Amino acid sequence: MKKTLSLLLATGMVAGTLAGCGTTATSSSAAESTATSTAESTASATADSATADAGLAADITMWTYPIGKFKDAETVDGIVKSFQEKNPGVNIKVEYLDYTNGDDQVTSAIEANTTPDIIMEGPERLVSNWGAKGKMVDLSDLWTAEAKADINATSASIEAACKAADGAYYEYPLCMTTHCMAINKEMFEAADALQYINEDGTWTTENFGKALQALKDSGIDTTGVVYCGGQGGDQGTRALVNNLYSGKFTDDAHTAYTADSDANKKGLQQLVDWCGAGLLSFDTAAVASDELQLFANGTIAMTFCWNASNQATYAESVTFTPMPVAFPSDDGKPELCGGIWGFGVFNNGDDAKAAAAKAFIQYICDDATQGPASVQLTGFFPVRASYGDVYAGTEDEARMAAFSAYMQYLGDYYNVTPGWAEQRTAWWNMLQQIFTGTSVEDASATYAAACATAIEAAK
Amino acid sequence: MGNGKSTLMAGQKPTVFNNAIVRQQTISAYLFLLPAMVFFVGFVVIPMVMCLATSFFNYSMGKPFEFIGLNNYLEMFKDQVFLKSLRNTFVLVAVAVPTVTAFSLWVSCAIYQMHAIKRSFFRCVFYLPVVTGTVAVAVVWKWMFNKYTGLLNYILNATGILNENVSWLGDAKTALWCIILILFTTSIGQPIVLYVAALGNVDPSLIDAGQVDGATPFQVFWHIKWPQIMPTTLYILVITTINSFQCYALIQLLTSGGPDNSTSTIMYYIYYEAFKLYRYGYGNAMGVILAIIIALLSALQFKVTGSGATD
Repeated sequence: MKKTLSLLLATGMVAGTLAGCGTTATSSSAAESTATSTAESTASATADSATADAGLAADITMWTYPIGKFKDAETVDGIVKSFQEKNPGVNIKVEYLDYTNGDDQVTSAIEANTTPDIIMEGPERLVSNWGAKGKMVDLSDLWTAEAKADINATSASIEAACKAADGAYYEYPLCMTTHCMAINKEMFEAADALQYINEDGTWTTENFGKALQALKDSGIDTTGVVYCGGQGGDQGTRALVNNLYSGKFTDDAHTAYTADSDANKKGLQQLVDWCGAGLLSFDTAAVASDELQLFANGTIAMTFCWNASNQATYAESVTFTPMPVAFPSDDGKPELCGGIWGFGVFNNGDDAKAAAAKAFIQYICDDATQGPASVQLTGFFPVRASYGDVYAGTEDEARMAAFSAYMQYLGDYYNVTPGWAEQRTAWWNMLQQIFTGTSVEDASATYAAACATAIEAAK
Repeated sequence: MGNGKSTLMAGQKPTVFNNAIVRQQTISAYLFLLPAMVFFVGFVVIPMVMCLATSFFNYSMGKPFEFIGLNNYLEMFKDQVFLKSLRNTFVLVAVAVPTVTAFSLWVSCAIYQMHAIKRSFFRCVFYLPVVTGTVAVAVVWKWMFNKYTGLLNYILNATGILNENVSWLGDAKTALWCIILILFTTSIGQPIVLYVAALGNVDPSLIDAGQVDGATPFQVFWHIKWPQIMPTTLYILVITTINSFQCYALIQLLTSGGPDNSTSTIMYYIYYEAFKLYRYGYGNAMGVILAIIIALLSALQFKVTGSGATD
C-alpha cells in the first residue's frame, strides 16, 4: 500500500513538473511580463466591427520605455481601445519597461526569441543597435513620400537617424526634443547672475564662467555638478563639453568619435579648471538622476540634464522656478543634443503580426486625431511639421513654448554612430579620469582608442 | 540507494522476491528524485555545458556564430579591465570572507548563551539586512555615502574629522572599501544564525569537563567548541566565498563598476560584456574562469578545514 502510494505521489510530482514545463511557451511570456512591467494591459478585441479592417488579425505585443505618458497603462489602454474599434481582429498586449533594466530585458528576449512585436524608443537602440544586428523589420513602407516630406520639413536629421547604413528604416518616429540645461532662477537673481544669460536663453562660455563666479560669490557652495557616474543622462555632459568651444562629438559621417579634438579637450580642461577653482563641482559617483534631485532640492543652482519631460516630472516637487537655458558656447550659438522617439518592429517571422504592428504604429503616429494626441502624451514635440503646435490651447502651451524655442538649436543626431554602447562607458570613464587626476590629453586619448576599437568591432 | 545487498538482513540470501522489492524501491527513489533532477539538469547542468561550449565561439548578437578555439580566453588575459576586475574581486573576497567569518563567530559567541529573547533580538538585528531587498539596501547606503547630502560626510565634517565633502563611492581609493562594507553588513546575518545554532549544539558535558580540569575560556573555545563547529565554519567559508565572488547587484546599483573600473568585479564585467556589448561567448569564457577559481578555492577550504572537522 505504501509503495503504491509512493509511486502515485512520485508520478503526481513528475506530472506536475512536466505540466509546468509543458506550459513554458505560454507562461514564459507571462513571467517576463511580470519582470518587465510595472503594469500591464491587455485589451481584447471589441465586438464592434462596424469599421472593422477584416484584413488584420493578430495578437501582438508592444513594449514601451517610460516616454512621457507612454508609461501609463490607462493612457496606452485608451489608444489600444480606439485602434481596436477599427481593427477588432488585432489584440494588443502592452508591457512597460524602465531605463534601468529595459535594455537587459530586450537582450534576454532577443536571445530567447520572445521579443515583442513593437518597441518604442529612439534610433540609438532601434536603428544602430538592434536594427544593425538584423533584429528589426524594415519600415520603408511607412516612410511614404508624404511622410518624408512632412518629417524632413522639421529636420532632415530625423530621417537620417531612422535610416540604417543598409538603407532600411528601422524606426518610424513620433516625437523629438532638444536636451538643454536649467537654472534655479531665484538663485541666479539673488546672485545677480541672470545678466549673463541672453533673453533667448543662450549664453557664452565667458559669461557662463562669470555666472559661476557670481553664484560662488553670493555664497552658493555648489553651483552645479558634473555627474560622471554613468547610467544615462550623458547627453547633458556631452553637450556641455562640446559647446564650450564648439567641438563636435563625432565626424559628419558618423564614423569616428572626436572627443579628443582640440576644441573638446579645451572644453574638458575648462571644466577641470572650474572645478579646481571651486566654481563648479564634479561627482564621479553621481548619475544624472542624482544631479537632478540635487537641483530639485535647491542644493545646486543648475542642472545639465533638462528637457520638457523632466520639467513636467519635477514641476510639483520644486519650490523655485526652473528656467530652461541653452548650453553655453564660445560663439553664443549652441548645438543641442536631440532626442527622437518612435516605434520599431521586431522581426518575429510572422507577416500577419508585422502588418498589424505597422498598422498600429501608423495609427499612433499618423492618424489625424491620434497622431497629435500621441505627441502630447510624450511631452515632446512632433516630428511632423504639419501637426504644428500640438500644445496650443492646452495648459502646457506656455511651458512647452519655452522649450520649443530651443528646437532651432538642434544639432547633429550622432547617436547612430557605431560602437555607441562602448563609447558611453568610455565617456564616463574619461570624465571620471580627468576629474581624479589623469590629464585631459591622456584621458581623451584612452577614450579615443576605446571608441576606435568599438567601431572596428562593430564592422 | 540501488544497492540490493544493503537492504538484506545479515545472512539472508538474495532471492527473486527480494530483488523485486529492491528494484521497486530503487525505481520509486529515482522517481522521487526526478522532479529535482529535471530542474537541476535543466537549469544548472545544461546551462553550464552550454556556457563552457559557447566560450570557444565568437558568440555575439548580430555576428556569425563561429568557432574561435581559445581566443576568448587569450583575449581575457590581455584585457586590462578584466585583470582589474579580477584583482578587485580577489581583494573583495580576501577582505570580506575572513572579516565576515570572524565577526560572525565573535558575535555568536557573545550572544548564544543569552536569554532567548535577547538572542532573538540580536539575530533579528543582524539578519535584517539579509531579508531587506538589495535595492533598498543600496539606496540607503547610497544616500549615506552621498557627497553633498550624505550622512557620513555630515558627521565627519561636524566632528571636524573632514573639512570637505568626499565622494565615497566616486573616489577610486574608497569606492571598493565602501562596497566591501555594504557587502559585509549584508553577509553577516546568515553566518551569525548558523554559528549561534552550532555553538548551542556543542556538548556541554565536554565544556564542563574542560572547565573542571582547569581549562581557560580560550582553551575551552579552541579545543572544545572550535572543532565541533568546524563543519559550520566550512559551510560559512564556502558560502561567503561564493557570495563574495558573485558580488554584482551592489556594484550595478551603486557604482556601475566605476570610477574608472575601480569597483568592477568579474561578475559585473561578465554582465557588462554579455548584456551591454552582447559578447556572450566572451562573457561565458569569463564565467568559466570564475567557476574554476571558485571551485579551486572551495576545494582548498575543504582541504584546510575538512581535517579539523574530523579531529
